[in-house]
Amino acid sequence: MGTEEGRYRLSADSAEGFLPSDEEIEKWMDSAFGMAKDALENGEVPVGCLMVYNDEVVGKGRNEVNETKNATRHAEMVALDQLLDWCGGCSLDVSSVCERTALYVTVEPCIMCAAALRLLNIPVVVYGCRNERFGGCGSVLDVSSADLPQTGSAFKCVSGHRADEAVEMLKTFYKQENPNGDQKLFFCLSFIVSFPMSPYLIFPHLNIFCLFGIFCSSSLRSFFQLYLVS
Amino acid sequence: MHETTHPVRVTTGFFMFELKICLNFWDTSCQLISFTDFYEAKENTGTMEPQTKRWKGSECDTDSWVAYPVLSDEQSQDVELIEAFAAPIVDKKETSRLVRELNGLYPLNGLQHIKRVRAVKGSLHPLEVLVCLVSEAPDLKEASIDSLLPSGGVKHDGLGQPFVVTVPARPPLTRPQFELVRKHWPTSFHEDKQVTVALRGELFSPPQKARMHTYMTSALTAARTGSELGMEAVGAVMVDPVMERIIAVGHDCRGDHPLHHAVMVCIDLVARSQGGGCYPFDRYPGCSFQKLPDAEASPQPYICTGYDLYVTREPCVMCAMALVHSRIGRVFYGTASADGAFGSKYKIHSQKDLNHRFEVYKGVLGKQCEDLNCVDQHINNKTSQHSR
Repeated sequence: MGTEEGRYRLSADSAEGFLPSDEEIEKWMDSAFGMAKDALENGEVPVGCLMVYNDEVVGKGRNEVNETKNATRHAEMVALDQLLDWCGGCSLDVSSVCERTALYVTVEPCIMCAAALRLLNIPVVVYGCRNERFGGCGSVLDVSSADLPQTGSAFKCVSGHRADEAVEMLKTFYKQENPNGDQKLFFCLSFIVSFPMSPYLIFPHLNIFCLFGIFCSSSLRSFFQLYLVS
Repeated sequence: MHETTHPVRVTTGFFMFELKICLNFWDTSCQLISFTDFYEAKENTGTMEPQTKRWKGSECDTDSWVAYPVLSDEQSQDVELIEAFAAPIVDKKETSRLVRELNGLYPLNGLQHIKRVRAVKGSLHPLEVLVCLVSEAPDLKEASIDSLLPSGGVKHDGLGQPFVVTVPARPPLTRPQFELVRKHWPTSFHEDKQVTVALRGELFSPPQKARMHTYMTSALTAARTGSELGMEAVGAVMVDPVMERIIAVGHDCRGDHPLHHAVMVCIDLVARSQGGGCYPFDRYPGCSFQKLPDAEASPQPYICTGYDLYVTREPCVMCAMALVHSRIGRVFYGTASADGAFGSKYKIHSQKDLNHRFEVYKGVLGKQCEDLNCVDQHINNKTSQHSR
């Protein structure tokens, strides 16, 4: 699990000079992946995220969208809240802490989280795999380096650390997310395939369109479940 | 539907304030008026002549603003033009044969919106036919009919000397685009009537505008309440357009939390109204939500599905993307902001790679929303004077 320099993408303007060393990246990304694995084992979105200031974890987050019914409660937003609480608890100045804090996350932050990180002037984000659907560090939009003078400051991205592993975890999660739907569908279809006339024997008024409807509704549901977790 | 309207008149010294309020907004609106009343009373102790004039007869005020759609780049930018060779048809009888043979040789793939033949008024030859794109032409140096149409395929009979014209590279999407491209070459246009009407600023009927006016007025009131607490003067209101009721009202709270922009506050208040949420905003009198009676019974995966958001100024990138995640129905904002993500810097509501797209309108009570910035500065000056 080496940190392959070639796969990193560093933003051009790294004038700040605050950049974690390879050992730090290795160490903190390892804990982030540990969190993601934990989440996966507990049936949650496998995204691990932590904020490190002065070699200390000051924010740790996991996706809380479902329990709060607030679609903005991504792991990064939760971690940012913890960082703010931590600053409050230690009566430290938020902005001076933020400008020496790095975010380690297994998946590229989305556009919203990238903008939030900018607003708090977080200088460095280290992430694993790209987020093709919502990514705000280059995949969909590049909020991290865009010219947005009223939206905090741009941040550096170090990407690609154990990317394949992060993708693999997400894939595993999406596969196991719909066990009910898919199993039911499989059972239903295999039943129909083995006994083509069986549905008509049980429900004489059933026609082929009804079956098509059942098929569509179950595939639609699994489709929406996929959406829900991201 | 409760269509009964109650005109409420509040008079404080210098101004008269009239509002038509639907019965089902009674509670929120009463609160709203008391805030406005309070704020205006304070403001009017100074010399605020223009404001007094503006508020006079708010029924006519719906004529003072127009909501225009914020369209995608493809819809709002000029259509790219490309060069093509056209030639006059000297012998009209050959037209159908020429078109058939040219279609075979140069099918103009991907340019189905362009008409092959155009009529030219007052010319020696009344018809001109599109031969091929300049990029497709075999020899660019000398464009003659012979070089464009090699032997076989198309017989040259009835064609004049070719010349260069410009044609649209893609179909026009809006009427203004169509009006522009048709001057170059006849183009087919499948008009989206709603977009045409919206671009004229005539999409919303007077009753609809009156409702939008009420909602944005609540957002303005919330913005002023927040600004009194030292926050930025931004307010947001989430509305269920089907039930015609306000779900949540929020204002900027970034003085206490740097990420609590008005829209983020509003989204969390909507979550609260459905039994979720993660912040207590109870200490802010300007932030409120209406608890839905059937909230627990019908868990909605995406909390803002079908709702309209009214916000005094264009949301930033974070707030805009938060609205995408929340599957917002429509967004109405008053005035643009420098880093705004619904038209100014980005058009996140029409971003191709995102899985949720929606309509955004700007200009609702634009003048009043713009004036909020002055309120902001006014208060900032006051506090800075105070600190000195």
